[in-house]
Amino acid sequence: MTTVGSLDGFRVVDFTQGLCGPFCTMQLGDGGAEVIKIEPPAGDFARRMGPPFVGEESAVFLSLNRNKKSVALDLETAYGRNAAVQLARSADVVVEDFGPDGAGRIGLEYAKLREANAKLVYCSITPFGEDGPLRHASGSELVVQAMAEYTASLGRIGEKPVRVGADVASLNTGIFAAQAILAALFHRLRTGEGQRVAVSEFGSLLHLRGIMWHSLSDPDDWYGFHLDHYTAPPDYGYQAKDGALYFILRRANSEDWDRLVLELGMEQVLSDARFNDYGRAATSIGRYAAEVKPVWEKAFQKRTRDEIISLVHSIGGDAVPFMDYPTLLAHPQVAALGTITEIDHSTAGKFKTMRPVASFSETKESIRLPPPKLGHHTREVLQAAGMVDSDALSKSD
Amino acid sequence: MGKILDGIRVFDLTIAAVGPWSTKLLGALGADVIKVEAPGGDRLSHAVPPLIKGESVLYISANHNKRMIELDLKREADRAIAFKILEKSDVLVQNMRPGAVERLGLGYPVVTKVNPRLIYVAASAFGRVGPMAGEAGIDPTVQAFCGWCSITGPEQGRGEMFRHLAHLDLTTATIITRAVLQALIARERTGRGQLIEIEMLTAAMALQTTRLAEYFATDKQPDPLGSAAATTAPHEAFECADRRYLAIGVERDEQWPGFCRALHLSELISDPRFASNPLRVKHRAELIPVLAERFKSKPAAWWIIRLNKERVPNGPFLRFDELRHHPQVLANGHIVELDTPHWGRMHVDGLPWRFEHTPAGPIQAGGSSGEHTVELLTELGITVDRDTGAAQ
Repeated sequence: MTTVGSLDGFRVVDFTQGLCGPFCTMQLGDGGAEVIKIEPPAGDFARRMGPPFVGEESAVFLSLNRNKKSVALDLETAYGRNAAVQLARSADVVVEDFGPDGAGRIGLEYAKLREANAKLVYCSITPFGEDGPLRHASGSELVVQAMAEYTASLGRIGEKPVRVGADVASLNTGIFAAQAILAALFHRLRTGEGQRVAVSEFGSLLHLRGIMWHSLSDPDDWYGFHLDHYTAPPDYGYQAKDGALYFILRRANSEDWDRLVLELGMEQVLSDARFNDYGRAATSIGRYAAEVKPVWEKAFQKRTRDEIISLVHSIGGDAVPFMDYPTLLAHPQVAALGTITEIDHSTAGKFKTMRPVASFSETKESIRLPPPKLGHHTREVLQAAGMVDSDALSKSD
Repeated sequence: MGKILDGIRVFDLTIAAVGPWSTKLLGALGADVIKVEAPGGDRLSHAVPPLIKGESVLYISANHNKRMIELDLKREADRAIAFKILEKSDVLVQNMRPGAVERLGLGYPVVTKVNPRLIYVAASAFGRVGPMAGEAGIDPTVQAFCGWCSITGPEQGRGEMFRHLAHLDLTTATIITRAVLQALIARERTGRGQLIEIEMLTAAMALQTTRLAEYFATDKQPDPLGSAAATTAPHEAFECADRRYLAIGVERDEQWPGFCRALHLSELISDPRFASNPLRVKHRAELIPVLAERFKSKPAAWWIIRLNKERVPNGPFLRFDELRHHPQVLANGHIVELDTPHWGRMHVDGLPWRFEHTPAGPIQAGGSSGEHTVELLTELGITVDRDTGAAQ
């Protein structure tokens, strides 16, 4: 039985490189769309991100480009530009990250494409947004994190900045881009009208810090992690004898609470108002959590992390260990959710990667194509579009 | 001009941040979002500090673009009202602890019988199967569990938490929104709704797709690198003569010569150790000290001028007090000011997308729990005798 995807039959022509745009279009491909990845003769620059490489392929590139066909076109040449324009005209969706005015310089601007294809959904991705003094500035993962104050929630004041280890500027923006494209496609299905949509990495990260902007408007008092985190020291969770854990108490009752306190030898907290209401404000995101953390850690000193986790569970709390990648990926919960999947690549061999993130009961996500070799589908795609130029093709094969 | 989700009604049975933020985005696209809360609301949403005029900013910020109805779903009468609303809804989003919604009689198998066109999102922390099935989770528990802290921290230092304890919540929320939009497209084509399941754990791991790829390729934990990127170089922060840090990012080979010229280090352009990104990553330990010494010789302002001329990505480390007035932020509406009914004028997150033909927004402040109960029931034509439980 063939899987029917939500986006079967939609054709996406993708001019993006790096992480953000490719993560966006991979989501569309997982949903069933045909994604044609247009690459310059040297390939998407993510093909050179690394080490690590798997065989000749960048591990990062492999993780973002399944379900795509690669067409190599030199947009510096008239032939390449004409072929690109023709493919873009046949598309339901075009995604580009050439920067403001960049698409216009090579004849791929929305205004021109829509003349031939009024139903086109055209998505532009920029580092900082399409208006304002930085509209032409180029960005990078760290530059956008720094400017959006993400580094203010990490490290220590006065010391060298620490970035979020995950590529949040790129990947979170890729999710917003996919939202914008899907919303515009939905509108098109209902009205027949296409349109141009835009997202930016800076705007995406600032949006995702929205609770902060609210918090800083006019708070009743200056406490709570949303405000204290600027000055708080690095947080490593709660230390037990053999490792760190994180826990939260939200549902204890009087009997459970007394048992926990006795078991941990923390009787002194029974007369400490910060531990009122069965410790509800004394852990995790509670008001007093940061200041009473040493009290917990003193009590955890002689116990293993698993003992503490069981104890917290036994009184209806939530507790988990801090894990690195080897322990996470060996965890039975990750296996139970089928989070990791394997793809067979023609030269890199079998490699592991994340499965599509959402599970749909009817229109299931699927992995139909491995990440492509550069230009692997050039001939197939151009021939199907009736554009055969053997000279140009031999150059890009 | 109409909105993209005009006519789409969302039955919002969400708590805390994950669910509410996803439906707030659907509201910004024009959906009619009805936020259903038990009397008093859920305790977490309303208690997370800081508070503004007594209300949690978490609740305020995650519930714009909605109307608030109070229903006690443990009562037969109110459950009957819920089903009346569900008959007229297109989307249901809930992120209760697995099992909780079933106990309220609103599990997917029940609801889809009443309304087969309904798109039903069940979001959870760790999923409904496996040894942790049914465990609740919030952003920091997922941070601890999902490996995210193990790749973040000072170089050769200890992995640490991201102290803005909402990022994985909101990431999960945006994936919910994306999935709902995708299911709405599918419904236009098939005529049917469906169940969508999303775990915070899987969303948090998806956000680490590129970093997990490094691990799968090497079987080695990617260690924290401070401000540096693992697979591109030079891509990190440098301290300048005025002791300010400057973020720079050379991600593409064509940016390298300009970067060298900007730093008056043209001799590096032809240095074979640094001729390509893979080589620069490999020889990072030799490259960075040379650059660090050069950056320390002049103030950040000088390097910004030079790097901009060469179009090399660079930027300062900004803070809210600079961002709120920043011309780039104002020009694009990345952070905007909003009048709210009970909490005064606030800075709020701007819309994350721009639609040229069918603009999203404007952002509408939400309300207090249950504030629109009467208005909504009247509008939906539901007349109720809440004592006898008869809904018509």
